[in-house]
Amino acid sequence: CHTSGMLTPNGKEYAQKIPREELTHLILKLLQAWKEPLSHFNQHHQELPDDSLSKAKQISSMVHELKTGVEKSMGIISNSLNGMTPSEAAGLSISNEANMMSDSDFIHCFRRDSNKVQSYLKILKCRIMPENSC
Amino acid sequence: MKQKLTSSLQIILLLALTAVSLTGQSYPGKPKIIRCRSLEKETFSCWWKPGSDGGLPTNYTLFYSRDSEEEIYECPDYRTSGPNSCYFDTNHTTPWTTYNITVMATNEIGSNSSDPQYVDVTSIVQPDAPVNLSLETKTSANTMYLWAKWSPPPLADARANSHVYHYELRLKPGEKEEWETISVGVQTQYKVIRLQAGAKYVVQVRCMLDLGEWSEWSSERRIQIPNGESPPGKPTIIKCRSPEKETFTCWWKPGSDGGHPTNYTLLYSKEGEEQVYECPDYRTAGPNSCYFDKKHTSFWTIYNITVRATNEMGSNFSDPHYVDVTYIVQPDPPVNVTLELKKPMNRKPYLVLTWSPPPLADVRSGWLTLEYELRLKPEEGEEWETIFVGQQTQYKMFSLNPGKKYIVQIHCKPDHHGSWSEWSSEKYIQIPTDFRVKDMVVWIIVGVLSSLICLIMSWTMVLKGYRMIAFILPPVPGPKIKGIDTHLLETGKSEELLSALGCHGFPPTSDCEELLIEYLEVEDSEDQHLMPSHDSGHPSKNTKMISKETDSDSGRGSCDSPSLLSEKCRECRTLSSTLQTQDVRDVQESTGGKTSWETQCIASEQKILLLNNETTKSSTWPAAQLPNTQPPMFAYHSTVDAHKITLNTANVNIAPVLVGNEEKRQSQYPITETVHNNMEKQREMENLHSKTDQTTAQVKQNRPNDKSPFLNPKLMDYVEVHKVRQDEQAVLLKHKENSGKTEKYTVPGTSKEYTKVSTVVDHNIIVLMPDSCIQHTSVSQEPAMETSPNLQQGRAEKNMSYCLTAPSECKRETSGSEYMDPSSFMPSFK
Repeated sequence: CHTSGMLTPNGKEYAQKIPREELTHLILKLLQAWKEPLSHFNQHHQELPDDSLSKAKQISSMVHELKTGVEKSMGIISNSLNGMTPSEAAGLSISNEANMMSDSDFIHCFRRDSNKVQSYLKILKCRIMPENSC
Repeated sequence: MKQKLTSSLQIILLLALTAVSLTGQSYPGKPKIIRCRSLEKETFSCWWKPGSDGGLPTNYTLFYSRDSEEEIYECPDYRTSGPNSCYFDTNHTTPWTTYNITVMATNEIGSNSSDPQYVDVTSIVQPDAPVNLSLETKTSANTMYLWAKWSPPPLADARANSHVYHYELRLKPGEKEEWETISVGVQTQYKVIRLQAGAKYVVQVRCMLDLGEWSEWSSERRIQIPNGESPPGKPTIIKCRSPEKETFTCWWKPGSDGGHPTNYTLLYSKEGEEQVYECPDYRTAGPNSCYFDKKHTSFWTIYNITVRATNEMGSNFSDPHYVDVTYIVQPDPPVNVTLELKKPMNRKPYLVLTWSPPPLADVRSGWLTLEYELRLKPEEGEEWETIFVGQQTQYKMFSLNPGKKYIVQIHCKPDHHGSWSEWSSEKYIQIPTDFRVKDMVVWIIVGVLSSLICLIMSWTMVLKGYRMIAFILPPVPGPKIKGIDTHLLETGKSEELLSALGCHGFPPTSDCEELLIEYLEVEDSEDQHLMPSHDSGHPSKNTKMISKETDSDSGRGSCDSPSLLSEKCRECRTLSSTLQTQDVRDVQESTGGKTSWETQCIASEQKILLLNNETTKSSTWPAAQLPNTQPPMFAYHSTVDAHKITLNTANVNIAPVLVGNEEKRQSQYPITETVHNNMEKQREMENLHSKTDQTTAQVKQNRPNDKSPFLNPKLMDYVEVHKVRQDEQAVLLKHKENSGKTEKYTVPGTSKEYTKVSTVVDHNIIVLMPDSCIQHTSVSQEPAMETSPNLQQGRAEKNMSYCLTAPSECKRETSGSEYMDPSSFMPSFK
């Protein structure tokens, strides 16, 4: 996976140890890393059946929305960070590699990364707002 | 025959035998040589079987001769081989010679000898079976084989057995039927190689000398072959699971063990790494498992896991198993399942089910999010109802049947990829049934009450059925007119009738004249429904009104004599004319001097419909008709008014108007009144004369000026009273005359009209009972019918009836013959 190079916590303890800002940063980095490959995928796979295609587009937009949402909700936090640019840059370089993946690998990697993002976000949520079903 | 012979023979034999047995003595039976056998070719024995001994001690002797020699020898040894045997030892045994052997049995009486047996020693050689068979399994060079050892058969003499035996071995696996026979040779041991591992074998041996026969098979020997030793079979990895997304365990299944203890090792490597590790913990999760603790668990990496089985013979690897821990999470079932019954006010009680996530799952930090699902079914039910609950840890149940017992279970799963946990242990719910009792009580009370009511009703029905029916549907009373002699009516004599009525000068005198043309409209109030839907209530309206139609026969005892009436008929006076005597006169004049009195049965109160507001008056007329004196007066007035009105306006439905004459008259007189539109009202008059015996009362219809058909001109018709029946019903014959009026009056079935006089109102007003009133139907049909309907409607009095006289033209003339014109009674009418 093109995101394998990123250092991400591999377990609960690690994820809990990381400070919030860093975790948020990581999430955004991940989401950013997938933005370009997804759009690339959509462009180059017009031969898919319609529902798959629409699903893929939906996923792309969801990722984008999620990224925006995280940015906004963590705006207080991420303001301090000026790491957006580097992460974007990193994302770009990575995404070139992503374009060369096979379809099954692509999907496999995306599934994993989305699961990562989900888990991190959940941890973050329960850290920030513990009273809500945590 | 044959049978007889045989039977006789048997008897003889029997006798002989019994004689013999009784005596008990006879010569011995014939012995028989069973066999001769040599164990080793140097000695042999013969055995015989004795025959019957004849009851006496028998000696057996064996004689033999050799080849063709004649010398007969006796058995040298009777003992060695047992009873009834002869043993020939080496001295007496000559190979390659044929012995001729016979056995003789002797007793006191006689002797008997067996058949000779020719025996060649060499041919009867059969050794005994080998002995001491032993079996053993041995392994050499990875193979297992079976060692079999035995000993040659023992011989009687102690000399070392120098004979050479050939041996044969047979074996078979315990379950099978077929023997595998192996020729061993002269060895007394043998090695069997091709063995099924793990099978039980049965082994036997036998031997043979170089000539002769095989011995018997030795006794069986059994042996169990242990499993063949080989490298272990291939293990397989069953599954890997993580209960809380922090650790995980893998289980495998061993293959065959190849007969040796086998060791299992689990080896794994992580994605992207080359290094292979061994399972950190084989014990925690039980046999054939490997437990990865937190340190060794990494997420979002794929593990490549294999199991290796090793034994002395070798080792074997399982297929690799790839697993990413994120996707293999299967939590434990939820715990602390509790039920609480809540009883809010004003609502049905409901159950709240709460539970906790499994203890190991770390839900608090958000690392693992669980979704729950519960299922429940009634205790006796078969199917579970599954309800997805989501991430909440409680559930409210509203729709449970009271009194029933339910079983409920919960399970959970991670919200992302993963599998459902096991179902939690069963929890029983018992719904309280208290409120149900109340329902039952209520229902019981309701049932009891309703049954009581039914009983009471049926009882009353039974007892007072008739009365009740009468109460609900009162019978129509007959007319009761005071002073009327029914007999007179029956007799049908008009004169008498009239005289009885007291109408001496029946044909009205001046009075009558004055009043004149009062038409009594008799309407059948009760038949209002028959009336066409003329709106009866147009009190304001001149045209319609009242009296609907004079369907009922108008009992008009008009003062007019029949002749008069007849004359009038032509006129078709309007009521107005009749109302007023003067009017009448006028009318008469106008009409030719006819005035007709018409009696009417007055039924409807509304009848009197004055053109103008006189309606009130007119309407009262019917009321007036009721036993009241009023009406007549009223009538007069009304007639006067009516007349006026009629003069003014066109149609008016005139309620029965009293004819002035009538006033004078007894109430018995039928009064005819018509409130009539002077114009062309046409009215049907009905005549009712129930009072007047059975005379036919003429019902005359005042014919208003025909010319102008008014809206609701009421046609006063003369109706012929057909006869008056005994029961005071006046049968009116309605004539329908087609006067050419535009209006049509139909006289449906008005051929006969029956009217009963219900009361006689005051002066000369006979109130007729409404008849079945075909008549009014007819009347109703007229547009002018309104009057009649009105009349009818207004009629409150049930007793009032009017028969509507079919409008008919003044057919007085035509019907003249049948009419009984009151005027006729009055000699000097007019």
